[in-house]
Amino acid sequence: MTEENRLFPYEEESGRNGPELAVELGRIKLSNPVIMCSGTFGYGMEYNQFYNTALLGAVTTKSYSLKQMKGNPPPRIFETHGGVLNSVGLQNDGINVFKKKDLPKAEKIGVKLILSIFGRKKKDFTELANKIADIKKRIIAVELNLSCPNVDKGGMAFSAVPDDVRKIVKSVVRIVKIPVMVKLSPNQHNLIEAAAAAEKGGAEAISIINTVIGMAVNVQTFRPELANVTGGLSGPAIKPIALVRVYSLSKEKILPVIGMGGIFGLRDALEFLIAGASAIGIGTANFVQYDIGKRIIDGLKSYLESKKIYDINEIIGRIRI
Amino acid sequence: MKLLNGEIISNEKYNDNLFKISVFSPYICKETKPGQFINVRCSHPGIIDPLLRRPFGIFEIEKKFNVFSVLYRIRGKGTRFLMGLKKGDILDFIGPLGNGIDIGETRENVLLIGGGIGIAPLNLLAKQAGRMKKNVFFAAGFKNNDYFRWEEDLIELKINYTIFTEDGSWGEKGLVSDYIWDNLKSFKDYDVYCCGPVDMLKALKRNYMGTDNKVTALLEEMMACGVGVCNGCVVKVKKGKRGFTYKKVCREGPAFNLREVIFD
Repeated sequence: MTEENRLFPYEEESGRNGPELAVELGRIKLSNPVIMCSGTFGYGMEYNQFYNTALLGAVTTKSYSLKQMKGNPPPRIFETHGGVLNSVGLQNDGINVFKKKDLPKAEKIGVKLILSIFGRKKKDFTELANKIADIKKRIIAVELNLSCPNVDKGGMAFSAVPDDVRKIVKSVVRIVKIPVMVKLSPNQHNLIEAAAAAEKGGAEAISIINTVIGMAVNVQTFRPELANVTGGLSGPAIKPIALVRVYSLSKEKILPVIGMGGIFGLRDALEFLIAGASAIGIGTANFVQYDIGKRIIDGLKSYLESKKIYDINEIIGRIRI
Repeated sequence: MKLLNGEIISNEKYNDNLFKISVFSPYICKETKPGQFINVRCSHPGIIDPLLRRPFGIFEIEKKFNVFSVLYRIRGKGTRFLMGLKKGDILDFIGPLGNGIDIGETRENVLLIGGGIGIAPLNLLAKQAGRMKKNVFFAAGFKNNDYFRWEEDLIELKINYTIFTEDGSWGEKGLVSDYIWDNLKSFKDYDVYCCGPVDMLKALKRNYMGTDNKVTALLEEMMACGVGVCNGCVVKVKKGKRGFTYKKVCREGPAFNLREVIFD
């Protein structure tokens, strides 16, 4: 038997319409594992001009807070080798605007939404949960962005303190009926503890990684390139960092993992799935290749077909060490 | 707005730093209003450096031939990639992006103030305004005579213009913003459109304080998505009496009321 045949010793099922792409992350059921990352895709409206965004596994909205937030001063963007530093500062119009304006539009185009929310204090999350408890249609999950600073703890990220993670998740899960997932930062070294705390709180899945903190300096002006001094690095430059986090966390089998960080093509997506991600997130690539979501879905299908693998779940977490 | 691939008709060198790339695209030629831009992939497929697309204002449109062009200065990796493209190569771009200027709604007299590469989008505006028989005056300022061949385009436009360079190597010596200050009265009944470096825009904002001209600035900022989702390319704009807000250049601009723009 060849090595490949040992990995997938099944006969292709007859009478199927191509390989199965559906995945389940606890109660979260997706028609395919391709999710658009928060802050890189609006809520699917803009990109619906390029392809039918309802075909995506899901679209994570930008992060909404209780009230409108202005965000950081410009320049907010700086390109580095193979990456982008950003310090947008979570600019958003607030959760009420999302409910009134954005959500009805998203419902019209049929996109499956994951609603991302963030707070500045623990109690903000409870208040946000109360505001969204009555949304039923089209939102398949809530993502808690816990990489943002907790003003009660001097701006340290919520995800830095596992017990805070557990408490926040628990307070939200108690209020909203839809599944709750947690987005964690790669900038702390307690990923597994934080994920375990999220599981204890009742989370359904973990999204990793958020951007990696970084900076750049202008050698003419001697000033930082970003007005905010530091920013979050995304793009292909962070892919190996993301991949090892996904690998290490998913093998702990705490919760299903949505792997993201620098996915720019089919090969990247496959690497994350094989390393253990039950679904993958595409972020910065949306700025460069506007139809990348559709391309990756099509690519996954062709890859599986060419390997005679009938179900994408056959490759998830199958890394051989 | 569409994802497009256009064949490059020419990639003309004006000098070591300044190029004009012309691309076949009936869609862009049909849909574009002055002030709008395209976001261009500046790397081969599968190559991730440079990563982000680069925005360029549309410089001219030749409807007869379905060819549009973009003027670019060599600034970094992205523009160096463009420089290497040849006739017959394919340009990967999206557009037209941003809100264009409706020249039909301006006053009879139109004053265009361009600094450096900022002349590019104003050039298209000049041409359209000229075609609508508006009275156009183009005041352009440059560091040196790098752009000297652009004068041929201006002469072709048959509009009135004046050129300033900081070193006096072309046109008159001085700053275009000083010229505007000295001639505010003669341009009293003009709608003003300006595009250029921040220092020039700041000076113009000061110049126009206490006047009642309509002053529109075409702004640029580091940009990522170009389609309004990433909130990267914001500028600070007045809101209410004392407040401010950040507006996206790509979708809420690039045209802004200069009086409302806050330069920190």
